[in-house]
Order: sequence, then C-alpha cells, then structure tokens
Amino acid sequence: MTAPVDVEAGARRVTTAKAISEAIAQEMRANPEVFVMGEDVGPYGGIFGSTGGLFEEFGATRVIDTPISETGFIGAGIGAAVEGMRPVVELMFVDFLGVCFDQIYNHMAKIHYESGGNVKVPMVLMMAVGGGYSDAAQHSQCLWATFAHMPGMKVVAPSNPYDAKGLMASAIKDDNPVIFMFHKGVMGLPWMAKNPRSIGAVPEEEYTVPIGKAAIPHPGTDVTVVSVSMSVQHCLDVAEKLEGTTSVEVIDLRSIVPLDREAILASVAKTGRLVIVDEDYKSFGLSGEIVATIADKDPSMLKVPVQRVAYPDIPVPYARVLEYEALPTRDKIEAAIAAVMKG
Amino acid sequence: MSETITFPTMSKDEDAEGVLATWFVRTGETVRSGQVIAEVMVDKVSMDVEAPTSGTVTCLVEEEAAVRQGQEIARID
Repeated sequence: MTAPVDVEAGARRVTTAKAISEAIAQEMRANPEVFVMGEDVGPYGGIFGSTGGLFEEFGATRVIDTPISETGFIGAGIGAAVEGMRPVVELMFVDFLGVCFDQIYNHMAKIHYESGGNVKVPMVLMMAVGGGYSDAAQHSQCLWATFAHMPGMKVVAPSNPYDAKGLMASAIKDDNPVIFMFHKGVMGLPWMAKNPRSIGAVPEEEYTVPIGKAAIPHPGTDVTVVSVSMSVQHCLDVAEKLEGTTSVEVIDLRSIVPLDREAILASVAKTGRLVIVDEDYKSFGLSGEIVATIADKDPSMLKVPVQRVAYPDIPVPYARVLEYEALPTRDKIEAAIAAVMKG
Repeated sequence: MSETITFPTMSKDEDAEGVLATWFVRTGETVRSGQVIAEVMVDKVSMDVEAPTSGTVTCLVEEEAAVRQGQEIARID
C-alpha cells in the first residue's frame, strides 16, 4: 500500500469564479467573435466574479455593460449569435428569467429548428443560481429544470473550478445555445459560506469538459447518490464521512441537458439503491426525471424505493433557520442514505 | 534570502481589521513571482495577494483569521 497522494499538491488553485473568467478570456483571445454582455459584467467584473479582469484586458467594446433590460440585451445577444458571433450573455440571477423568457425559449432555443437547421445560435447564457445566504424567494432559486423541460437548449451546472472552466470553454465552442448556471455557493467568494471544494487545482492552459457527460468524483458500491451543482459538494462531504461504513458512489451530473442517463443506469445497476439530491424544486423536475429514467429501463434494478432530497414546493424563505429547513443539507443526505441502506 | 508578505492597506482607517479569506497555497509549496497566493478582505471588499518573488511559501496566519493591515501573513524563502 502506498500512502494517499495529494493530487493537488503544488498545483495552482483558483476559485470557481476565477476559473470561469479565465475560460472566457482564453476563448476571447482565440476568437475575435467572442464577446461578453450583461449587467455589471464590465469594470465590476460580475456581481459574483464570473467576468473578473475581462474589461481590463478586452475593453468596453468586447465586455459590454448593459442597462437593466434583460429582454433587450438577451435579444441583442441572439441577434449577434445568428450573425455568426459567439456572445456570452449574463442574466445575473436566474430568478429574473420571467422578464425575458420569450427571447430565451421562443427565439434562442427555436431558431435553429425553425430555420430548418440553416441558422445556428452559438450563444452562452450564464446566470447565478441557488440559495443558502438569506437572499429570499426572488434571488435564491435554481430552476435548471425549467430550461431543461423545453427543447433546444443545453444546460450545465458545474460543482467545482475544474469543471467550471472546462464546461465554459465547451459552452462557448458549442454551436447550440447553452445555459451555464453557476451556484453562488461554488464560486469561492469570501463573503459566502465556503466549502473548500469551491477552490481547486485548475490547469492554466485551455481544456474542455464535455457537455452531457457526468463525473464520478467518489466511486462506491452500496448506494448511488446523484446530484448536481452545489449539492455535489455536500454529497462528497457525506460520502467521505461515511467511508468505512457505507460505500457511497457520488455522481456529479455536471450537465442537466443532455442528461447522462447511461452513467445513472450503470451505477444503479451496480448498487440497487438510489438517492437523488437536487436544490431545484421537487415536483415535475430533475429528481422525477431521474426516477423515470430508471422506471423506463428496468424498475427491478432498485432493491428499495428511491429517496429524493429536493427543494420542497415552496418559495425560498428569507429567515435563515427556515431556509436551511428547506435546503438539501448534509444531515438530510445522510438520513436519506441511511433510509435506503435499511431496506 | 527570505521575503515577508504583509496584509495590504485597503482602508484609510489604520486600525481596520481584515480577514485572510482564502489561502490558495499551502506551507511548503513552491510559488512563482506574480502567482495569486491569497484573497484578503476588509469590510466585504476583497483583494488578491500575489507572491512578490519565487520560492517556498510559509503561511503565517490561519484561513478566516482576523488580521490587521500591515501584519505579516506569509514568508517566501
């Protein structure tokens, strides 16, 4: 037996926020058609740091601060994309989708289809998601299932800096519209509750992480825990805590569209036990889609019923104690694992 | 030869206390001149701290610790 190796020893470590802005900068250097647009993406660097340093390097013609008019600047991004540019547009908070959704799902998502495949929309629409810091009902939702439900958009939500950089590079290179959702809790911001997993080793050179391919950051044999975004960090904390008693396989979906159903099916075929952890609303969403994936293929692969740790169907509470009562927490994930292991 | 790195002056208030928000390096690691080694914060304004020289770093304060401006936070040998 050799001693465990610290794979990150000596490597350059950065926050997820820095990893995202670095990916955008590398694509902008490589391709003059790439530009950034949105509220406070310029000198401020994005309210969650996703565009830090870009204005200083590329200037006001390629890093464009917009008025507070989401339907206007998202529409402008779509227009630029159909003319051959590759815009990265930031919608600040996903919760604001209500004022601009016609542009998103009737235009950005459908132009390629409606043009008979003749017009491409190579656009990235990025936005902050998630709660845990008392920002209440209009600034704390995840809503990835809302985009995923409608055809025509890819949807990604990384849980760590390495995936964030590689997925952003893939999203910009992709000829389809890609929704890039970063949870505020994975950005590594000093003023947020911080998990060390939000800071990690990231190569300085350019690389891509494929869209539609899940990762298995913690392999195991007793129970499959499927999650995405911030909740993956909690799942990994629990999986490490349970080492020696329960062998937990954590699947980080990384992409919601396309959903890596093969990775889920292969793992559940091995373990026979499934826990789904999703910070988006429970009903009519990702967790139900994953259960349906199993039921469609072969429900007998499950030894016990599925446990879903998902957001209850209520608006996000402001009061911290109430919000944490609703959020998927480590305690709830551990209890769900215990419940499927009893069966 | 060693060089000390101090908490940067971010506030006109000389007694202002900040926080060593994040270490991006660990004691004993090799750093390059210009590499971001830490993020510090005063009154919710944050700032990167870069290594002024290349060498082996020693972190002198804990992450999340309250630090005065000008206080030594790391050494590079």
